[in-house]
Amino acid sequence: MTGDLDLARMRRDRHRKVVDALDAQGLAAAVLLGQPAVAYAVGARAPAADAARAAQQRMIAIVTADGDAPHLYTAFPEGVPPELPADHVHDALPMEWPEGATALLEALPDGPIALDEYTMPLHAALRGREITDATAILGPCKVAKTADELECIRRAQSINEQAMLTVEPLVAPGLHGSELSGVFLRRIFELGANANTVDPIWQVMPPRVADGPHSITGDVVFPTPTMGERFAAGDVIWVDTGIDYEGYASDFGCTFVVGGPESRHRDQAARWREIVDRCLDVLKPGATGGDLVRAASANEVRRPWLPHLYLAHGIGTNSAEMPLIGTDLGEEFDDALVLAPGMVLVFEPVVWDDGNAGFRAEEILAVTDDGYEHLSARDGGPRG
Amino acid sequence: MAEGLTRALDEMARQDVDVLVLGREGNARFVSGATRLWLAGTRPFAPGCVVVRETGAVHLMSTTDFGVPDEIPPARLYAMSWNPVNIVGAVAAIPGVSGAQRIGVDGLTPLFEQQLTAMLPNAQLADGEAVMRAARRVKSAVEVERIRTAISVAEDALGAAVEALRTGVREVELKGVFEERMCRLGTTTPAFEGAFCVVDSDLSVRRVASNRVIVAGDLVAMSAGVLLDGWEGSLARTLPCGAPTAEHRHRLSRWLAAWPPVVERCRAGARVGDLRATAGASVYGVGLGAEALEDSAALEPGMVVQLELEALGFLGADTLLVGDGGVEVLTAFPYEAAGE
Repeated sequence: MTGDLDLARMRRDRHRKVVDALDAQGLAAAVLLGQPAVAYAVGARAPAADAARAAQQRMIAIVTADGDAPHLYTAFPEGVPPELPADHVHDALPMEWPEGATALLEALPDGPIALDEYTMPLHAALRGREITDATAILGPCKVAKTADELECIRRAQSINEQAMLTVEPLVAPGLHGSELSGVFLRRIFELGANANTVDPIWQVMPPRVADGPHSITGDVVFPTPTMGERFAAGDVIWVDTGIDYEGYASDFGCTFVVGGPESRHRDQAARWREIVDRCLDVLKPGATGGDLVRAASANEVRRPWLPHLYLAHGIGTNSAEMPLIGTDLGEEFDDALVLAPGMVLVFEPVVWDDGNAGFRAEEILAVTDDGYEHLSARDGGPRG
Repeated sequence: MAEGLTRALDEMARQDVDVLVLGREGNARFVSGATRLWLAGTRPFAPGCVVVRETGAVHLMSTTDFGVPDEIPPARLYAMSWNPVNIVGAVAAIPGVSGAQRIGVDGLTPLFEQQLTAMLPNAQLADGEAVMRAARRVKSAVEVERIRTAISVAEDALGAAVEALRTGVREVELKGVFEERMCRLGTTTPAFEGAFCVVDSDLSVRRVASNRVIVAGDLVAMSAGVLLDGWEGSLARTLPCGAPTAEHRHRLSRWLAAWPPVVERCRAGARVGDLRATAGASVYGVGLGAEALEDSAALEPGMVVQLELEALGFLGADTLLVGDGGVEVLTAFPYEAAGE
């Protein structure tokens, strides 16, 4: 973790982008209730929490088009960026109740507003105001990362990868996934993670889809939550974890084989490598999502990823964000998505060999001026 | 039928809501009993679960029946999607949804509002969170047992953190020790990232653990919790690293003197806003995670609440079951270090 990182510069650059986007679309302000959106626009932190608690103690940001510093409403003063003027930092407003919603309404400038999400009391309070979905503002700001943002993702991923090196030697018959979670969670905090953001997944894959659990699409079921199943020799385990570093997510996926991989597991991993390498051959500015979909699918009987997920997704203050490639948003969407420098892609194709389970890993790349660079290691396994 | 669903259907009838479209995981779990992947933080609204009053059926966004109780057959599962048109289409296709007059939602985004009103132009949107809050508030005996079990896990895990509270340990490492122990006890989801924070002489209690190295003589405020099958067990204590000093004993005795009167006031009939009026006191509902309580609410028998008091740089919190008379304190972790 030696790369250059200037958090104040990162916050300044992001705020400028949001202000410019508001100005360009003739909006007076962005009102942000989602914690990843507040993290992006302001750089403020709150402790990670279960969704219910997070909603009750949510931070709120108002970013105005005049370029003034954002206003932040928070219960966590230690998470406020140091450069934010004191008169722009306010006590938390409870959006679960009409009083809080009304107080927020009174703090808004006149004019059309971009909003990311409503609570129902806020929905009632804002009736009559001109509201657009803030995704249209934040999406284009977030999609191309600055060098500081890329460094945050690189560091988040590095912490995640190092923690996994501690976990890997422990994988053995008789072990519970929850025990691996314990070792993993302890290690990420020692290594400097700000938070864990997803319940670590250690899913024992069935040899055949038909072996269950039941799939409503007929495709491989993934991910399922960790429920304490014991590992057995020869089990194929798909791993998926994610942590937070300075507001940015990691995304680590790999395949473990309990007792060590055999040739069929290595063959599956080699096919996975070929799929990603075909994508990397076309990955550069100007290429489209559709180009990546076609590269990944070339010579394959079917699209080599989970149809309810994606071939690749972006990552940033959300663990999955634009660009999304190979989703049910459809071919036209993929073809219209033009890659540009600073965009980040987490490739997660799947090789499934019904009868012998399959291989899944993840690899993170940033689009550069003339190609790409890795933000993750290139070792998804098979491990174990 | 799951007990939670019965209560939700009753409350839908009372509030005249035909269909609930739920995005909040605690709400979905309450009506379905399903375990889906846990994620930290707020999530923008998406229709993860639908309850239809006319059929009494729960429908879940899930590509598998893994973690889904048998009462919900695969035909009532619908696939997740990145395309709002597909998601809203799947919801609208659920029997009983297209004819609904009042649809309760527990959140919205401007985009989903647009999609829902376009797909279901005759429906009026109502506050589904208010329905769920009312259905969830008073706990059954079974639910109280689940909370007790979760508390015992949280207390065991906090004990591990207290054991690790020695000179040289960093605040964030205590958070890791707590979570590792929690996982060994069988649950991998914290209720929140624990606070393990040294209280300085300004007496303000931080809630985000830092890299600070703890040394003997430090007083450490610890607040942590777990979710066990979704049910929250959490508590807070403030303990010294090493032997307590005279100053620590003084602060502890002042806090211990202030605490019982606050607990005593948590009786059936007490107004939540009045309880919150005590300086440093906070109150919230405990169930499938933290449950919001409005100031105007009155405590009722069967409610479970977390009562916290931060005073004089001392943080303590217990979970209380409101009874017909007084309260039962469900947490049992000692307030001071062993051997004092």
